[in-house]
Amino acid sequence: MAAPSESAPDTTELDAAPAAAVAHPTVGNPYLAALLAWVVPGLGHVYLKRPVRGIIFFVIILVALFIGCQVEGNLYTVVQNQPLTILGTAGAMGMGSPYFLLRSRLFHYQGNLIAPGYEYGTAFLLTAGLMNLLLVLDVWDIARGTKE
Amino acid sequence: MLVNHFLLMVLYALLVSVFFTVLWRRTRRDQVKLFIQLFLGMVGGGLIVAWLMFPFPSGPPAPIP
Repeated sequence: MAAPSESAPDTTELDAAPAAAVAHPTVGNPYLAALLAWVVPGLGHVYLKRPVRGIIFFVIILVALFIGCQVEGNLYTVVQNQPLTILGTAGAMGMGSPYFLLRSRLFHYQGNLIAPGYEYGTAFLLTAGLMNLLLVLDVWDIARGTKE
Repeated sequence: MLVNHFLLMVLYALLVSVFFTVLWRRTRRDQVKLFIQLFLGMVGGGLIVAWLMFPFPSGPPAPIP
């Protein structure tokens, strides 16, 4: 077996490194990116120069919101003596400004407990919030250079 | 809006599958593979669970609190 030439780079350490340790160049302020991503779904990715991904995420979350509202699902708020609603509210608030817009006097969205699609709508609305929370974490990682 | 359980399930699976595909994968080939896995997993899983629940009686609707 031929010995490796001295000029060949030693990639042993590089190959053994875990994927998480691979650094990418930082592209923006992580705090600002996370804030933008929370306020408007997808805006954090646009800020970090990933406009296509940002638009796709924006559309997905908007469609989930639209369906959830159309079938009159529950947009969680904290209810006294029901501690689990705190978790639900935190998840739903993850969608950022749409949550407060829907709650505002302009829309005054409440959902309808006896609507046939109530449970489905609640799942859509809650999922929209949780997906946006994942986007906040994603832009945080991208801005810090730990993810592409 | 017409509430069709199956349609809503498929829409939900579609949205979540596209979301995680774009979030987790970068190359087109990997994206297609993950999308198919997630989408079929959710829709197929839902149908299997529905089929398993078929023998159970649906019963009267729960009272509204």
